[in-house]
Amino acid sequence: PADTRGAARERASSAPAPVTDVARLCVCDLLVAQCDANCCCDPDCSPEEFSLFTTCSIPVVVGDSRLCRQKAAVYSLDVEANPPERIFQLIDQVNPSIFCIHATNYKQALYLKSPEMPTPENFDRLLNEFGSAAFSAEPEGWDVDPEAPNPPDANETHSYEYGAPVQTEDAFLRLPSPVVSSWCSDANPAAFLVNQATKCIRSVSVDKCESIQGLSMLFYINSSILAVPKSSQMVNVTVQSIVVQSLDGRRTLLEGGDVLRLPLALDELCLNIVLGVSYHITYTDTGAITEAAAAFVLGAITKEALSVQQSFQITFTQVNTKPVPLSGNPGYVVGLPVRAGFRPQGYPFLVEFLTNRHSQLTIMQSTGSQDCLAAQGARAPVLFGYNMISGCKLRITAGMKCQPLAQTLLDVLKGQRFPEYVASFGNSQAQDVLDWVPITHLHISEQKIANTLQSSCQIPVSLGIEVKWTKYGSLVNPQARIVNVTATLSTTTLQQLPSGRERIIPVTSSVVFTDISSPAEPGYKAWPTINIKLPFDFFYPFV
Amino acid sequence: SSQLSSLPLQILFYVNGIYYVFYFLATLAMIVYKSQVFSYPDDFLAPDLAVLFLMAILEVPRLYLGCKGNLMEEEAPLGLSLGVTVGSVVLCVYLLTWQTYVLWADVILNAVLLCAYGLESGLKVMAIAVFVS
Repeated sequence: PADTRGAARERASSAPAPVTDVARLCVCDLLVAQCDANCCCDPDCSPEEFSLFTTCSIPVVVGDSRLCRQKAAVYSLDVEANPPERIFQLIDQVNPSIFCIHATNYKQALYLKSPEMPTPENFDRLLNEFGSAAFSAEPEGWDVDPEAPNPPDANETHSYEYGAPVQTEDAFLRLPSPVVSSWCSDANPAAFLVNQATKCIRSVSVDKCESIQGLSMLFYINSSILAVPKSSQMVNVTVQSIVVQSLDGRRTLLEGGDVLRLPLALDELCLNIVLGVSYHITYTDTGAITEAAAAFVLGAITKEALSVQQSFQITFTQVNTKPVPLSGNPGYVVGLPVRAGFRPQGYPFLVEFLTNRHSQLTIMQSTGSQDCLAAQGARAPVLFGYNMISGCKLRITAGMKCQPLAQTLLDVLKGQRFPEYVASFGNSQAQDVLDWVPITHLHISEQKIANTLQSSCQIPVSLGIEVKWTKYGSLVNPQARIVNVTATLSTTTLQQLPSGRERIIPVTSSVVFTDISSPAEPGYKAWPTINIKLPFDFFYPFV
Repeated sequence: SSQLSSLPLQILFYVNGIYYVFYFLATLAMIVYKSQVFSYPDDFLAPDLAVLFLMAILEVPRLYLGCKGNLMEEEAPLGLSLGVTVGSVVLCVYLLTWQTYVLWADVILNAVLLCAYGLESGLKVMAIAVFVS
């Protein structure tokens, strides 16, 4: 075994010898054991195949042309002969220049160097010399070994940087997430200031539910977070709230929700298993963590359950601030929700708008049942730049009253609180009233000409929101700014049907974003002017 | 005649001196050219340059001693010059065959220099024989 290992190492440590004989070199011989077309040096070609060639793609094979004398293999086709045949000559090629290389004593001068083959012995050296910073064995800064001597750079940053793993007393704050597959991996650290939300699947069984660490609340809050990296100041993770989810999916907020509830196996159920954790970390502007709170969703599993999906989230908030999610800074970012709000009632002058965290422009969301009247008011936020269309079907039967139907459809299309103003920039503040664009409402009614004299009841069937936006700012970094929002409500007459008949009419709502930017005009600086003025008292004695 | 100094040797010293200046500059220029055009690592360039400069350093006493010995008709400086010539010949052979890159021009220059050395050595031996006797 020792011999074979040594022999294998010998074989592995040397690459195959390079071919330097010009008679055997053939660059156009690409197909193995087959004749390449017009390749006169191909050894796989027979004389019959040579007679089919039209030209030799490689007429001469030489080594370095700077040598004084060298052998050259010359291939040519003799088209005069019948059938045409290939002529191969090995000639001495002479370089007439006086600076031709007569001899070299340096082997690698004329040939490419064979690279050193990596072996277990020289691998580290080769990696240091040629490897780049792709992967390192241990990530830096994770030295959790308490016996390690103090690093010499003890005066380094005493604060978390963006993306640095949040450290706890034993390792780091865990945010289990799917790695490679959907199974939860507990080795994913939460990164500072990176708001993340992950979902992963954990395998469970009712018998072992009390012993699986990832299912118990204690696993997520027992280790305290270090306020700054490598310090001894600890921040305990407090339990902010506990929501209990029943087996049918209903969630209730638990009163007195700061008590630790550990998994409990009861009959054929396991209660109090963690289905979701939401961390809220508060930090200062110097990069130190001051508070940490975790909100839990606990649930129960039955005996048949083999796996459970857990969701984890972490958000970072700066102390003494109330975060409002911006949709852009300053221009809207495609994909972020369009912010909207209301003007408080009763104020004659423009004051602050009422917006809360989630005041957004929303559009009706299509449901699986497609029935407008059964829609439960699910609405989707309008995302900037994304044209959306949604709809449902309205079944009209005989005897339906128009007015309540119209009101219901209006609610379905517009939602409970349709906003009045839309923010023109992604970061418009509520107190800057001029930054908000009022929503213009248009009403198109489809009235049959014959019934113009009768004021018949109209039911809304479509709501189209057109958002006109423009590019604003500099040419190289234009920002999106909403200029105009028009909500067009189309109504149609409700025809009374004879009894027993029913009609289905579609009800749609759509959002369209239109770019109305005017073409950019480059602005040029004014030509510098020469401003020469004589001093006031230049002609002093005379003036 | 009573003049024992060898005239051909003196002419040869004179010509050798002029040729050597040309040889030194040409070889140095070619080494610079080679280092730019070819792959010439530092640990191959250093010995070649060292040999060239050593040869230049040896050439001066060699020619001086030879001239002095020949003109003063003394065999000691001439013998010393002959010894230094042996060293110069070795260095010249190095530049002819063991240099990292030997160009055709190198071959010509060194061959001419070797011929000159050979002829000089022969004339020096004859002159020494004449002076001693």
